[in-house]
Amino acid sequence: MALRELPFRTASGLSRQVRPAISTGPFSPGRNASTAAIQDIEDSSSLAVPPPSEELAKSFDPVARSRLRRQGKKQLPASRYQYRPPKYYRGPLHPHQPPPASNPASREFQPGPFSLPRLEQTYQSTIAADILTLTYQHHPPGYRPPKLENRLRQWTGDSPYFKNRPLRGPRGRGEELRLLTPPRTFRNIPKITKVTVHSYVPAAQENSAHLHVAGMVVQAVSNVRATAHKSRHNVVGWNLRAGKYVAVTSQMEREDAHHFLAKLVDVVLPRIKEWKGVPGSSGDGAGNMSFGLTPQQVALFPEIEVNYDAYPPKMIPGMHITVHTDATNNKDARLLLQAIGVPFYGKLND
Amino acid sequence: MNAGHQTTRRLAAGAGKSICRSCRDSLSRNYASAAAAAVQTEDHVSQHIPPVAQASPQTSYQVNAGVVLSRPPQITRDLHPFESAFFLYQRRLNERSALPFTRYFYYKERTPADREWKRKIKQRLTPARDIGRYKGYGEEAWNDEVLVGAKESDFNWQVERLLEDAETTGVEDQPAQELTETTPSPLAQKKVEHEAVERPMSRITEADKKNDVKSLNRLLQRTLYFLVKNKEGQWMFPQDGLQKETLKEAAHRVLEYSAGVNMNTWIVGNVPIGHYQLDYPTSRKTESGLNELGLKTFFMKARIMAGQANLKENQFGLQDFQWLAKEEVKTQVEDKYWRSIKNMLAER
Repeated sequence: MALRELPFRTASGLSRQVRPAISTGPFSPGRNASTAAIQDIEDSSSLAVPPPSEELAKSFDPVARSRLRRQGKKQLPASRYQYRPPKYYRGPLHPHQPPPASNPASREFQPGPFSLPRLEQTYQSTIAADILTLTYQHHPPGYRPPKLENRLRQWTGDSPYFKNRPLRGPRGRGEELRLLTPPRTFRNIPKITKVTVHSYVPAAQENSAHLHVAGMVVQAVSNVRATAHKSRHNVVGWNLRAGKYVAVTSQMEREDAHHFLAKLVDVVLPRIKEWKGVPGSSGDGAGNMSFGLTPQQVALFPEIEVNYDAYPPKMIPGMHITVHTDATNNKDARLLLQAIGVPFYGKLND
Repeated sequence: MNAGHQTTRRLAAGAGKSICRSCRDSLSRNYASAAAAAVQTEDHVSQHIPPVAQASPQTSYQVNAGVVLSRPPQITRDLHPFESAFFLYQRRLNERSALPFTRYFYYKERTPADREWKRKIKQRLTPARDIGRYKGYGEEAWNDEVLVGAKESDFNWQVERLLEDAETTGVEDQPAQELTETTPSPLAQKKVEHEAVERPMSRITEADKKNDVKSLNRLLQRTLYFLVKNKEGQWMFPQDGLQKETLKEAAHRVLEYSAGVNMNTWIVGNVPIGHYQLDYPTSRKTESGLNELGLKTFFMKARIMAGQANLKENQFGLQDFQWLAKEEVKTQVEDKYWRSIKNMLAER
């Protein structure tokens, strides 16, 4: 310890007398380039201008004005007035560039957000701070974290091809390189990034109506257009043929994901009879948690209930729900879901 | 440690005062090599070495455990006018770009519900019920911005429209003769009589109006913190000296001894979320022979689930309590105390 403290004491003892006294000139306020410019800036803001008078605001009618302007004149076709962005992106050097996707004129523009979800507000105000307190690991000052041994194996041998070759993965079957969990700070509190709803309907191979119904159900529940998926392999045991459409999914982000989870936790899950919870074995070790709902449970969603008769009988599918979080292990992801209100049961998969 | 190191140490100990410049230069050169050697040897030790405790501590601080008991926000916050205007604008844009509403998927043709839908969409022009009278398709779809003084983006106005839509059948506004012409049979409209819908509860409670700082129903949008007035008349979080226990156990004890057992609380985690340090003007001597320089209070975070504080049987001589939001806490506590606690209180 004493040896470690030594350099600083010596250095400070030496530098105290060697360091020259730097004397700066007298402080002059008018020497900066910005001071001259400050005088040119107007002190009145355009935002401080009072709104238009009440009678002027009341008499303003944009539709009537536009009608008056168009009266008796033949207008050019609408396409002459409207800007249409190019259909194909032809590279950064092309003179005709499409506007960014945030521009309403863009072809990729999607309106939103439409609200500030309650679940998101709860996360910001309560859940995030509590998770930080629950998972914070304190280290005393001067703590040095233990060095991690190399998780990847070297290529050992005489082969010249081993030079500069990417390192080998862990040894053993089924062994994988797990994500590292960095120390918890206020910047890396786990949060919900995405929710995926997936519905597998093998009966759609014989009768495509099943797939259409599943698509409508998933779309109604998630508020996102459903995507259909083909099966990739022949599996004889399951009567599955490659190339046939058998599943629909939809991915929700941000506002949609929060509204969906809030609806699930507050409306659907409490109404399921004798539901034990999400199995504790759920989780892929990278922050994603999955669980399933049966057709009877899916029918409890308010969007399905409101026009339950519109769906053909016995065609409402079950679904799998995957909650994607940016946690790096099962424990943190489960903690986040528990804070939101999803119960777990059974042996936990840590 | 070899003899060379010890010489360096001895010289360096007095380096500040009585060594000539040439000696100092040579010493620093020697020292640089010694330090490099020391650093190299340390590199091999990858594990953390906890700092060695002093054999006989002469000075110390009194350690207190405090509890920051809070009630989290119960309802969503009020939107800023800009936020609500933005959301309305985006919803109207959505009316313009979304696919048309699939009417017959939700209403069977020629049913009373379908007729009601037709009447209502004739009045408001759009499937959305809370964005005002606006048509997303056609010649005048560009007119999607609300005018000065319009109420459409107001949250309460939108709630009223939703309630009105649930309660009315769409025939109320039409004049009587028109009614007989448009509706094919009086039986059809009699069926869709809607009962009154239960109004949502007010976002402003009785406690808000009375400014009852002891009530937990006040300021539902904010986090409320539990503050007590101690023997000296200072407002602070409940606290007590740490005995032979962990901080979490101490927090449980402090809560029970100060605010009674009529509270369902949860201590969040095992680590404190902040601390307050008070230095005495002159150090004090304790019974165990320590020199106490001051006191340090470590705050544990706690949430209240149910119940209410009761100071009747408290063991710390507390006089009063309050449930306060962050900026109200600032007005009650001392400046120095505020500076050490303000960063652990949530803004909302």
